[in-house]
Amino acid sequence: MKRRSFVALPATAALAAPKYKTLTEAEAAIVIALTEAIIPADKDPGAKEAGVVQFIDTQLAGPLKRYRPRYRRELPIIDEACRAATGKPLALLQLSERTAFLEQVDKGEIAGGPFFQLIVDHTMQGFYGAPKHGGNRDAASWKMMGIEKAMGYHGGHR
Amino acid sequence: MRLDPVDAVVIGAGAGGGVVAKELAGAGFRVALLERGRLQKYSETGHDELRSQRTTVLGNAFGPDDERHLRLVRLGDDNEFRETLPSEGSYGNVAACVGGGTFSFGAMAWRFLEKDFRMRSTYGAPEGSTLEDWPIAYADLEPFYSKAEWEIGVSGKAGANPFEPPRSKPYPMPALPYSKEGSVLLTAAQRLQWHPFPIPMLINSVAYRGRPGCIRCPHCVGFACESHSKSSTAVTVIPEAVKTGLCDLRTECVAKEILTDGRGNASAVAYFQGSELREQPCRFVVVSASATESPRLLLNSKSRLHARGLGNNSDWVGRNLQGHAYSGAYGLFPQDLFDGLGPAACIAVCDFNHGNPGLRGGARMANEFIRLPYLFARSVRPPGAPRWGLAHKQFQRDRYKRCAGIKGPVQEMPVFTNRVEVEENRKDHWGIPVAKITGKRHPHDIEIGRFIAGRAAQWLEEAGAEQVWTTVAGKGSTGGQHQAGTCRMGNDPKTSVVDRTCRVHQTDNVYVVDGSVHVTNGGFNPALTILATAYWASHHIVSQQRKAQA
Ligand SMILES: Cc1cc2nc3c(=O)[nH]c(=O)nc-3n(C[C@H](O)[C@H](O)[C@H](O)COP(=O)(O)OP(=O)(O)OC[C@H]3O[C@@H](n4cnc5c(N)ncnc54)[C@H](O)[C@@H]3O)c2cc1C
Repeated sequence: MKRRSFVALPATAALAAPKYKTLTEAEAAIVIALTEAIIPADKDPGAKEAGVVQFIDTQLAGPLKRYRPRYRRELPIIDEACRAATGKPLALLQLSERTAFLEQVDKGEIAGGPFFQLIVDHTMQGFYGAPKHGGNRDAASWKMMGIEKAMGYHGGHR
Repeated sequence: MRLDPVDAVVIGAGAGGGVVAKELAGAGFRVALLERGRLQKYSETGHDELRSQRTTVLGNAFGPDDERHLRLVRLGDDNEFRETLPSEGSYGNVAACVGGGTFSFGAMAWRFLEKDFRMRSTYGAPEGSTLEDWPIAYADLEPFYSKAEWEIGVSGKAGANPFEPPRSKPYPMPALPYSKEGSVLLTAAQRLQWHPFPIPMLINSVAYRGRPGCIRCPHCVGFACESHSKSSTAVTVIPEAVKTGLCDLRTECVAKEILTDGRGNASAVAYFQGSELREQPCRFVVVSASATESPRLLLNSKSRLHARGLGNNSDWVGRNLQGHAYSGAYGLFPQDLFDGLGPAACIAVCDFNHGNPGLRGGARMANEFIRLPYLFARSVRPPGAPRWGLAHKQFQRDRYKRCAGIKGPVQEMPVFTNRVEVEENRKDHWGIPVAKITGKRHPHDIEIGRFIAGRAAQWLEEAGAEQVWTTVAGKGSTGGQHQAGTCRMGNDPKTSVVDRTCRVHQTDNVYVVDGSVHVTNGGFNPALTILATAYWASHHIVSQQRKAQA
């Protein structure tokens, strides 16, 4: 790339840092919809509020990078399967309907079980692992379990 | 590059190698201690569950790394070997750092019982097993158990376990206190008329030998110790060895092979420092690289007189790989048991190590170390319980503090075809042929596992659990965390690899000193027995090699 063309980039594009390292916006929307159903919010935050999508996105650029091709390949497939079964993509489906759809996937009644189980595992890692990995924002899961002190969490990152 | 000669090269600065290095340097030998990993500090890794020694989903905090290492593994009924990385459970990783497994272990400090050294005479070998007696008895090892307890540092209550054989000395430190969960289990075991006692730990309960007492954080297993109270070899014998001025600890040095002379004795060790291949001439060699890496190194050390690998003329190197068939139970209680205090595992019984009707051996039973939140989510659920969704979350929130686990490391029947081989056609980063592991448990292990799981359930029910479920070991085994047995100790060179002093039968100057030499692996975590055997072997190596030098 020529130096001049770099300098000439429009200011807005240079400022708007991409939100994700590895996922596209469309992929991230599917991941958020899935993880929200895997650990939903109730009186305590769920995977969406705790930023599990950030965990998955960050780790797919690092230690979990071997799963990147699978995410790329299978996220559209599971979303398409949802559309075929319910008429809507995952992100536009009510949580209760999404959960019902994913229960069928999990049981093997609809294809995609192994990939869903992989995301379940990554969601657990993100939600229950250390906040510094991007997922367990403000130690939400540790506070929910009442163990933030035993986990050595005193605010900040750890 | 050929280096100036030393007396001894010790390969591996873990449990066995740490003790040997210190004993040899203390006796005046010049030692090169080679360790493939680094010297690590607590601050580098902290208490990060996803990068711990138990949960390696984001990598191995204590090594080895996925980039440079690989094994081929075939478990249970698998027909094919599968390429396996260190961060995958079936790799059977222990660690690659100064201190080896002891740097991040749980630190239970068990002596084996008398019968654990006489398994064949006590029970007879079941079909399909190479079950055998050790060529040494508990009484031979006893002074060295005591030495390990006093020099390295164990907390415990002597006499509290009525099944323990005689000991020459009490523990150097009092036992660590029972947790809230431990107190509940204590009275339940007493009501069952079992014999509960505090678990002996390689952890300072009070200040001892220059290190502070435990601060009672709950993160012993899988992590470095933030207060240096855990008695790993990295903070005890290894610094003492270095302090003599005679032990040169060389980290990030990967042993490739042992070179031999015209009579088949070791003359040097070839190792990589970075990408540079070095040759360290020596008078004798001690291999302490763990029960997978030690046989791999011997098998990769081929010469005219050791055409199938060093010490492998009878084809026993790498055979009889063992671990433990961990089995037990979980229980859900109406009240909170969790108090967040370490070491969490604190109470045990030895009522079921032996004398179980129709069974060969058994296991000590004890409450579990802390189950961190991710591991709890993945592995602690009653059968059929939802693994995700609102019900998952409610279980995690409401049950975590009300759950106790009792487990036992069931003694495995050694099997000749469970083994470590090397694969000439697959190389690691340094071009060294990788280890190839076959592990399929003997059916008797699973019978014992079921029995132990039943006793664990009984204990939890007596303690007031509302719901109890058992977990029994499966068919596949790699040795794993408690790997042992692959360079069997014995008097007959046709059916063992090393003699009773840990010297490789077909040589005058090659020793194996680590979990590999265990004939059987006891119903206990093995580290204290590895440490005691290392003191025993060191005692003999010093006298044999002094004689050889004279
Ligand atoms: C999570 C966990 C918890 C545990 N908890 C307990 C417990 O509570 N109680 C207990 O008794 N046991 C426990 N253990 C088991 C215990 O740690 C091991 O049994 C013990 O460390 C094995 O000792 P070793 O000398 O055979 O090998 P290691 O301690 O594994 O030492 C081998 C050393 O050799 C090095 N090495 C290997 N190959 C080479 C090479 N080619 N060149 C140079 N260096 C090399 C390795 O990096 C390592 O440092 C635990 C293990 C784990 C993983």
